Amino acid sequence: MKFLTTNFVQCAVKSCHSSLTSFPLQYEECQLVQQEQDYNPEFIVHMLERLDWNAIVQVAKDLGNESLPANKPEDLDPIMEDSQAVLRDLHTLLVETQIVEGKMVCKNCGHIYYIKNSIPNFLLPPHLAN
Amino acid sequence: MLPTPEVKDIDYDKVYEPSEDSFLLLDCFEQEQDYIRKRFGNTSSPLITEIGSGSGIVSTFFAKHILPKSVVLTTDVNPHACQTTLNTAKQNQTENETLRLDAAQMNLTDAIRPKAIDVLIFNPPYVPASEVPDIPKDEADPTWLDLALLGGEDGMVTTWQVLNNLQTTLSQDQGVAYILFCARNKPDEVAEKMRRQGWQVDLIISRKAGWEVLSVLRFVRN
Repeated sequence: MKFLTTNFVQCAVKSCHSSLTSFPLQYEECQLVQQEQDYNPEFIVHMLERLDWNAIVQVAKDLGNESLPANKPEDLDPIMEDSQAVLRDLHTLLVETQIVEGKMVCKNCGHIYYIKNSIPNFLLPPHLAN
Repeated sequence: MLPTPEVKDIDYDKVYEPSEDSFLLLDCFEQEQDYIRKRFGNTSSPLITEIGSGSGIVSTFFAKHILPKSVVLTTDVNPHACQTTLNTAKQNQTENETLRLDAAQMNLTDAIRPKAIDVLIFNPPYVPASEVPDIPKDEADPTWLDLALLGGEDGMVTTWQVLNNLQTTLSQDQGVAYILFCARNKPDEVAEKMRRQGWQVDLIISRKAGWEVLSVLRFVRN
């Protein structure tokens, strides 16, 4: 599961959807692997516009990376040299960083989801199913 | 004609084998490629979600040929299908062209953030049956495949769960859903009901497949 995907998923329990603490999930005991992917700066620029930056910073922290700026990088342009380094770093973090094993915990209800073989499992036990 | 992704080394006792319905979706997207590219222009990085990705042939086709600048997050309740989808995407990428695709084990889109999905693709369990089967408890269970087929009354129980949630799942401005139906699902009646709820529904493609008539409907907000 790519780091990027952590920005698109939340607790599957319906009653958690309205809670502000259910996103992002908290990532614990994660095993990371870097997997080379095509670098497409335009993709990163446009993806960045829609991402919840606070959640990115939070998940990065969970995974031991405290180097991200508190505010979303702005006005990135793939042809500007100072943007290029930032875009490269974001590509490495968002697209190339894979969580292969680990736990995701909902900060609202405490339910634990597991990631195995890079596949996050959001199936709920029958008593929690929506 | 766009090439069909290669699918190999798949255990078709556990994962739905690409069939007429899967190929109809590929043809649907080949036909829709201009519409889709125009809709998402050059200034967005859309999120594509296929519910019940099975072998992964449709999502791989989409990521490779229709919108290469997108990111795909597939869901399937079947763990074998999730793994197979990842494998199929990998087998179809080249050295110079990797696919941005993740597979999650999930019921429908239960754990995807609201209004995040730009393109929703669904080839549902559309076969009319007395009920929708329960999700098996362990991976070795032999009944995983039933979930890919049996859709309860009119074959529409699962599809209605998705349609009734479309308002919250699809992104506000650009969201579009492509859903496959067989004639026994009464797609005309479904389209009419959805139109009354404020959706624009268009028939994109339709084909006789054996004794079934399959069609794909496109849903966008009015």
